[in-house]
Amino acid sequence: MTGPLLTGTGACRLDAAGRTVEAPGIMAPNVAASPIISVRDVGVLYNRGSRHRSLRDAVYRRSGGVRTDSFWAVDGVSFDVYPGEAIGVVGRNGQGKSTLLKLIAGVLLPDVGEVEVRGGVAPLIEITGGFVGDLTVRENIALTAGLHGMPKSVIAERFDEIVAFAETGAFLDAPYKHLSSGMKARVAFAVVSRLEEEVILVDEVLAVGDKRFRRKCYRRLEQLLEEGRTLFLVSHSERNLRRFCSRGLYMRNGALVLDGPLDDVLAAYAREDDDE
Amino acid sequence: MWSRRRALGLLVSRDLKVRYAGSWLGWVWTVLEPLLMAGAYWVVFTQIFSRSAGEEPYIVFLLAALLPWTWFNGGLSEAARALRTDGKLIRSTNVPRELWVLRVVLAKGVEFLFSLPVLALFAVVTGADVNWRIVLVLPATLLLATLLTGIGFLLAPLVVLVRDLERIVRIVLRLAFYASPVVYAVRDVPQAWEWLFTLNPLVGIFELFRAGFFPELLDPSRVALSVGVSVAMLVLGWAVFARLERTVLKEL
Repeated sequence: MTGPLLTGTGACRLDAAGRTVEAPGIMAPNVAASPIISVRDVGVLYNRGSRHRSLRDAVYRRSGGVRTDSFWAVDGVSFDVYPGEAIGVVGRNGQGKSTLLKLIAGVLLPDVGEVEVRGGVAPLIEITGGFVGDLTVRENIALTAGLHGMPKSVIAERFDEIVAFAETGAFLDAPYKHLSSGMKARVAFAVVSRLEEEVILVDEVLAVGDKRFRRKCYRRLEQLLEEGRTLFLVSHSERNLRRFCSRGLYMRNGALVLDGPLDDVLAAYAREDDDE
Repeated sequence: MWSRRRALGLLVSRDLKVRYAGSWLGWVWTVLEPLLMAGAYWVVFTQIFSRSAGEEPYIVFLLAALLPWTWFNGGLSEAARALRTDGKLIRSTNVPRELWVLRVVLAKGVEFLFSLPVLALFAVVTGADVNWRIVLVLPATLLLATLLTGIGFLLAPLVVLVRDLERIVRIVLRLAFYASPVVYAVRDVPQAWEWLFTLNPLVGIFELFRAGFFPELLDPSRVALSVGVSVAMLVLGWAVFARLERTVLKEL
């Protein structure tokens, strides 16, 4: 297991290093081009109470003072991400990791602060959500790819590739709802991972499918990284984090407590467990 | 939003495909429902009651308002639920959230256009007089789309936050059918009740739809009011939508 592990991390670092050369005007050693993602003092406030309260709060949005039964799911988070970086997000359940990813995907808006993403995003978050049970697999592939912004000609060009990757050729004209849940996830991963976007967000989706397909997904991710894409990976698997990522973000109680090399972040995260 | 019009096109065609996937009669259903309702009203109001309201030929008079009403009714009840029913998709794809409402309005609008030949057919069969004002169907369609989009923008986020609103919308729509001149014309209304129609934007819209057959029903001041109310609804709806978007995304 050490073999692929080393090459994985190596590839990321090489990429970042390769780009530093192109930006002579900037002083900081790791700052290559301008950041592809900028997150500035971002906060997301959730209500613990009833849903009717959220309406009242939205209408009478108050400037100061936070209600006692509301909490910050993401609290004062700031960081920059440069093209080609591979970032692993760690933290326990409910500490704001997925919320952070949704902010970057643009499917959630921050209550305070600013999230700026200069480039397209391929979100592998709740990937099967966009599929419609009554439509065929073929129609679903075209629909989802189109919704994520893939031009029609590109969809036609990649169609066979997507189907081959998903290994569902025999079910192309069957309603999507007839597929097994594993097959559904395969189709979804095949489509979203073929998007030509610069930023890829992965939220635990790699837990789906059988071992063989999972391996295939990992290979696909590695391939995307080698092409210079920017990766955000939320995972509880230390092995996967080490395999793909060079930089880590450690989330605790909605705050970003550590942003640094993955090894340091994993060590700090391990200490949280030891503390209790 | 213009740059994402392809996403809008995809969603509209998806809506239509989903509606007709696995149904035998396909879009015949689109026509059948208003047609059956028109048939029922025709029997009730010409065969059972002696009718004192509406114009001749009554079936043309009915359909000219009933077809747009079907669009308004179906569009509004679906637009109100638009954000709620597509929650999963909205959570996973970053398209402008307004598209989810617009796509309902447009998909229902396409069905409405498909149903217009039925009106033409009955106009020919009954030998109804047609005049140049039939072209007013175009601005009427635009006006109804504006009104529908405005109310849709207003209701869709509110329904996510206040579930009860969905039922209220259904009840209000049923009442609105009788409060709007579909089975009758405004000039049939006794003076004591006329106030009920002064602010109803559907009055002017239906008069525009009927103007090609019944020009004497057209009242410019009521049309002007419809334009005003529709545009105001769109502005208000858009503002509310923008204000609630952030909150709604968390609740999906």
